[in-house]
Amino acid sequence: MIIDHLDDPLPGSSLRPTPTGAAYTDREVFAREQADIFEKMWNCVLRADAISSPGEWKKVTVGREELIVVRTRKAGVKAYYNVCRHRGMRVCTGDEGKAKKLQCGYHAWTYALEGELVAAPNLTAMPDVDREEYGLKPVHVRQWLGYVWVCLAGGDSTAEPPDFDTEVLGEVRTRFGQVESIDNYGIENLKLGQTKTYDVAANWKLIIENFMECYHCATIHPELTEVIPEFADGLASQRKNGEVHGSSFGEDIQGFTVDGSAGVAALPAIAPNQDRKYYAITVKPQVFINTVPDHVIIHRMFPVSEQRTIVVCDWLFLPEVIEGVAEGRYDISKSVELFHRVNLQDFEACELTQPSMSSTAYARGGALVPSEHHIEEFHTWWQSTLALLESAEMHQVRVG
Amino acid sequence: MSLRVCSIDDLTPGEGLRIDAVSPPIAVFLTEDGEVYCLDDTCSHQDASLASGWVEDCRVECPLHESTFHLATGQVDQPPAKRSVRAHQAQVLDGEVYVELSTAEPVLPPGVRVP
Ligand code: FES
Ligand code: FES
Ligand SMILES: [Fe+2]
Repeated sequence: MIIDHLDDPLPGSSLRPTPTGAAYTDREVFAREQADIFEKMWNCVLRADAISSPGEWKKVTVGREELIVVRTRKAGVKAYYNVCRHRGMRVCTGDEGKAKKLQCGYHAWTYALEGELVAAPNLTAMPDVDREEYGLKPVHVRQWLGYVWVCLAGGDSTAEPPDFDTEVLGEVRTRFGQVESIDNYGIENLKLGQTKTYDVAANWKLIIENFMECYHCATIHPELTEVIPEFADGLASQRKNGEVHGSSFGEDIQGFTVDGSAGVAALPAIAPNQDRKYYAITVKPQVFINTVPDHVIIHRMFPVSEQRTIVVCDWLFLPEVIEGVAEGRYDISKSVELFHRVNLQDFEACELTQPSMSSTAYARGGALVPSEHHIEEFHTWWQSTLALLESAEMHQVRVG
Repeated sequence: MSLRVCSIDDLTPGEGLRIDAVSPPIAVFLTEDGEVYCLDDTCSHQDASLASGWVEDCRVECPLHESTFHLATGQVDQPPAKRSVRAHQAQVLDGEVYVELSTAEPVLPPGVRVP
């Protein structure tokens, strides 16, 4: 039988280069990524309902900075550097808490939830101390999809952050398209059914690259490929030019569950052609959004070092499903189990790849097959963001 | 002799306002229920302004440590502050807040003196 490969590449162009191994192992590259990517762009850090009442706070790390995210009494959710303006001690200790004020444990400088310095020993005797100027240093905050997003751009809140509406909303909406809008999933109204944290011994870029392609699906994701047989062709939901393709469930598959059995109540507003389909997008630099008819899976990445990344994965369902789980009317465990396995399979692959990044055999990098060529768009973005070409000593980590 | 210290519109429910036109300074509180109270502003434990404290259930919690003071009597509930602060009679007339200053000796923390 003759198979006609319509999209056959031109001779000699099947494989495209990846960045060299050093891009995944070099400490200086990682430091620049922290400074020029994670500390400049919008990061999705927390579910907004994780701090639901005034005074509840959680600590998060973005780039090299530790932040306090707090629900205030008067000003919604705010985020600050966890640095006392007096002599620098960490203001909040522990990972989370609930307080009427944020007080440093060293000399008791005390900040309102809204950030300003409200009290300190002898403060009334120092009337020249500006309460705002010596308040906790804020970072920009937005809420979207039920999550708190922060941006450290400029290092102080007077510097303009990249525009959230074009950088994040615009990009996601454009990629999903008008009809198959991401808004149809009503993600901001969903509730957390399950969350899992993965401590992955791999560079964050390996995790993004893995998520962007499905060339590996038939090999390492037997359950997923059972549910979405078309993944066996190697093409992912994410395609060239950032386009998203709805990947169809198999004919005898009832739901996006570990054994293909029926899921739970479907999200009411999805379009007809979003039914029985899986969509995935990457929101650079650290978020993956996966949608299926009855739930949404959101990954947030927190790079720790050039070879370690914390990934938090949330499974979101309709509020009535979450209530139904408590009452035994609904079971989400098979839904959660499917992508939990996918995560474990993916992260194991990434962890087995990371050590090779420093091998002589990988010094010049690897190769992208045609169904992976769109990963080049990520590499181009990464390279131009770091402006690696300008710096001679960085030459060895250039793409190609 | 009653002293006009501020107008009711200067106050925010659930918060205090420090008035340093009098010495030692006083703090005027408007509770969520709309009651107006007045205490000495300086905590008896250390130099902290009670006007920046947390107002709840007719008490103000000192912003620095855990002691709380009753808004009507100035009575302290728990250490580290051990001494109650002075309470002053407050009343609202035509939207203006008037205070009758206590004639008792102020209770000030170490190192703070009335100029
Ligand atoms: S370092 Fe925080 S109060 Fe002194
Ligand atoms: S300063 Fe008020 S209790 Fe310590
Ligand atoms: Fe995968």
